Amino acid sequence: MVTTLIDPQASTWVDVFSTKQGAVYQSDAERCWYVDFAGKVARFDYRCLLKLKKAVYNVDIEAKLLETSKDPDVEIIFICACDHTYILTLMQIIALKELMEGTFVMLQLNSILQDRLYRIAV
Amino acid sequence: MKDLIRVRSLISAEVEMLLNQQVKKEAYSSAVYLSMASWCNRNGFDNSSDYFFKQAEEERQHQLKLYKYILDMGGNAVSPEVTGIKQEYNSFREVFEEALDQEISVTQSIKNIYARCLKEQDFVTNEFLNWFLKEQREEEYKARRALELFDVIGEEGTGRWQIDKHVGDIKYNSEA
Repeated sequence: MVTTLIDPQASTWVDVFSTKQGAVYQSDAERCWYVDFAGKVARFDYRCLLKLKKAVYNVDIEAKLLETSKDPDVEIIFICACDHTYILTLMQIIALKELMEGTFVMLQLNSILQDRLYRIAV
Repeated sequence: MKDLIRVRSLISAEVEMLLNQQVKKEAYSSAVYLSMASWCNRNGFDNSSDYFFKQAEEERQHQLKLYKYILDMGGNAVSPEVTGIKQEYNSFREVFEEALDQEISVTQSIKNIYARCLKEQDFVTNEFLNWFLKEQREEEYKARRALELFDVIGEEGTGRWQIDKHVGDIKYNSEA
């Protein structure tokens, strides 16, 4: 599965998971992931991707939905020791959460496949 | 597609989380034993106090063993927050009853991690946990034996003084 991005680097990127709102690609050569979401493509290494997942999962979506105050429903996803910050609406948070869930299921599936294949083959 | 997560860490995210929970449990145990040592000392049971100081130190060592294992395997070891330590006990016997409860809960929790590792076929962590399982045999034996002293010696008269005197002698040197 090769991405459809027209970036010259994109040929080495592999689709991990995508939804209508965004996508996550893996670069084997750079040992990192590129998250295409909310109008930008951001690079995440292993630790930062885990932190992003944790930050997104920690947003209490239900509480936000029930909140009746007049504050704008904007959430700032700030990740310590990482170059990227997301300022997202509640709908985007839900979309990003879906993207993260799918991404980690795919990464786990890849782990299982690699484990089963290479334990015997190599 | 390379398995980048596996390249970084030998243990899965799930096992890492369980091991971190265990780190917290051991830290909590250590703090509880320290509180027991204080209670015993305040109430004149000096030998028992020394016994609990030793136990507190042991639990701390268990915590560090887990902590270093997580780091060595490429995981993220989390320094735990320990709160809600009981400071007062109603009786000398209650202290030992709670010590046994504590050890049983640690054994159960290690069994839980072991089961998870078996499911994932994480034999490396299983092998690491074997040491803990063996250690729990000793810990539970000692806690159970201490409680037995209350039954065989009895708390009447100078009973509690006798019990305190013998608590320090409890040893597990089974060949099994």
